[in-house]
Amino acid sequence: MQFALPPRRNLHAPYPNSSRLSFQRRRQLKAVAILGFTLLAVFFLLSQILYSSTGTSAVPAGTPSIVLVTVLDRALWSDNYIQKIIKNREDYAKRHGYTNFFANWSDYEPSLEGSPRSWGMVPAMRHAMASHPYSKYFFYLDTHALIMNPSQPLESHLLDKNRLESLIQKDVSVVPPDSIIKTFSHLQPEDIDLIITTDNEDMNPGSFVLKQGEFSRFLLDVWFDPLYRNYNFAKAETHALDHIVQWHPTVLSRLALVPQRIINAYSKESNGAGKDGSYKEGDFIIRFFGCDSDPKRNCEKELDPYYNLWAKKLKNE
Amino acid sequence: MSMSRSPSPHPGAGWSSPGLTPGSGTSTPRSGYLSPNHLGANGISWATAKAKSDEVRGYPSFSTRNNGFFSRSKRQISATLPRFRLNTGSSPNGYYVDKDEYGRGPKSGSGRSWLPFGGFGRSMFRRKRSRLLLLLITLGIGYLWFWSVIVETYRRSSFGGGRKFVIILQSNIEGGVMEWKGAREWAIERNSIRNKQQYAKRWGYEVELVNMLAKKRYSHEWRESWEKVDLIRETMRKYPEAEWFWWLDLNTWVMEESYSLQEHIFNRLEDITYRDINFYNPLNISHPLTEGYLDEISRSPAGDEHPSSIQLLLTQDCGGFNLGSFFVHRSLWTDRLLDAWWDPVMYEQKHMEWEHKEQDALEYLYVSQPWIRSSVGFMPQRYVNSFPPGACGDDDPDVHYKEGGRDFLVNMAGCNYGRDCWTEMVEYREYSKWLNRSWWERTRGGLSGWYEKLAPGKQKQQ
Repeated sequence: MQFALPPRRNLHAPYPNSSRLSFQRRRQLKAVAILGFTLLAVFFLLSQILYSSTGTSAVPAGTPSIVLVTVLDRALWSDNYIQKIIKNREDYAKRHGYTNFFANWSDYEPSLEGSPRSWGMVPAMRHAMASHPYSKYFFYLDTHALIMNPSQPLESHLLDKNRLESLIQKDVSVVPPDSIIKTFSHLQPEDIDLIITTDNEDMNPGSFVLKQGEFSRFLLDVWFDPLYRNYNFAKAETHALDHIVQWHPTVLSRLALVPQRIINAYSKESNGAGKDGSYKEGDFIIRFFGCDSDPKRNCEKELDPYYNLWAKKLKNE
Repeated sequence: MSMSRSPSPHPGAGWSSPGLTPGSGTSTPRSGYLSPNHLGANGISWATAKAKSDEVRGYPSFSTRNNGFFSRSKRQISATLPRFRLNTGSSPNGYYVDKDEYGRGPKSGSGRSWLPFGGFGRSMFRRKRSRLLLLLITLGIGYLWFWSVIVETYRRSSFGGGRKFVIILQSNIEGGVMEWKGAREWAIERNSIRNKQQYAKRWGYEVELVNMLAKKRYSHEWRESWEKVDLIRETMRKYPEAEWFWWLDLNTWVMEESYSLQEHIFNRLEDITYRDINFYNPLNISHPLTEGYLDEISRSPAGDEHPSSIQLLLTQDCGGFNLGSFFVHRSLWTDRLLDAWWDPVMYEQKHMEWEHKEQDALEYLYVSQPWIRSSVGFMPQRYVNSFPPGACGDDDPDVHYKEGGRDFLVNMAGCNYGRDCWTEMVEYREYSKWLNRSWWERTRGGLSGWYEKLAPGKQKQQ
């Protein structure tokens, strides 16, 4: 504090001396400043280059943004039937620049270790993500389903931020009708990694969209855990997913429930559609839910009229 | 043993498991809906447990620490201090050098900020010799008295990096009504806590004591020692600035207080960790995974090989994973792991097998869920978790504390079973003191040893 005011005798200090000193000093300072600045700039540039080379992985050109995943069980279904399914989905993917990933159920048979066949969809999803590491969204659609409105791109129909925001169902029971676990009411579209629907009884994994990333690996691996597969859930992977979502908040916080008809409308022969969940003309997708498990029903027969409808529409375009 | 589907959590009743109910001896019908707050014999209700835990586990949203005037201003002062030179090879100006403080600090850049007033001092010197002398003496005394305080304050400040680490120390095991603690148990607890607090104070870390008091909540849900997971999660919420959380069992002793976590482990993660469990694999886990549907990183033996992807850092003893001393990193991955760690469906099927509870569960998850493997790193045990000789199998030199090896930490694992925890702790405490004695004690010891050699008879007489 004692130097707040310069002592009086400093006023009589020899001026030329001090100004010469300060001139030299100034030059030195200038040099140092310039040097320092250059070094900083170089360092900054270098770090930018290094950061960008490790921080972002370049996406190769022509990478499809969306991959449609289907599990084909060639042992159970006729080739004719499977060809129809493939045709329907290939057409849709071609229109919008997506890609199809057709997985063979038999590839996953050893990993299933005797659990019900329907579990095959979980490793299939993981497989699709491993084969298309740069694609962002993976749309799983059950075999027994048709895309009825192929002109509808998935982005504007479901994935765009504003569209998704308007579709998210907040604060509703995740497992109908009355689970006390409800979807979060503060969900933002950018937090969402899993988009799925509920039918009358469960969260239905026959049609859902999963975003590639750490979360997807986490979810699929937990879902496929041997202890779930051995638990004899009556509805196998469906009940396992119900369970995971209800008991693990890290999954619930990434999940968006959307109205059933957006991606999962049930045909009129199918039981268990949720409220306003049955197929109506113009809906994006029709699912023949349960046609494979109910011995009285026949998937191939149920598919045909809708397939013909779709084929006719295609011809007219 | 199993249900057709897993029940949803619903109000008034917890996880109901028909497979377990007969065995657990409670066959009373559910009373859940009648009174939501009633802790029936059937299990604590989901909603009340949650409310209760918020109440019990809650901590005030304001900080109760650092409220005193001195600690507050200390923090402010430290935030405006220049960067100190913490480590010097040669003492800068011939001052007395405290061997304990010097030469062991983290290597920070060299700087001459020590004497910022060189020229100024010279002019002063001619006229105000006495004043300078006074200043020097003041500085000298200040240095002797306050230097370690300044360094510690610096490390604790936001520049020092000490805030990144929190030590979670379990305490009060089986306290409460379950078992009266004896004098030895109290002494173990006091000593162990003091040891960690001293260590943390030196490096600016935080110690979070977590109370392992047997709680009805956990006993009811058959998850007695699973509170570890909850406690880690709570501690993460309590210290939002911290990055790494170090879980420590009570029966541990920091042998080398002069090792900072940064220097000892985190600055050289790449060199001291191994991701490929085949390096040391007592559980014979088949690694890497070979399933064709997995992505490349999940199938690679060492994950992505970047040390930055390690989120859980632990050691293995001769019997597998050891959770007596391990690190978790704050991240989404960790949130997910802590969330997946306890799952009623898995627990219901395995609780009879999983003797070591959360440790076995973690091993199980590691084996069965590929997403976990790619973010787990292992360290050779003796970096943070040496066992006392003989605690685990034969004399494996990679497992047990070696005298003269200057291991960082001793974990007296299993001392509750047929060994004496207190005696072991005292032994290690004294040995650690002896290893880290000051230069003065060293010279004195050396002199007396020399003296003993010269006149062995006299020493014996004494």
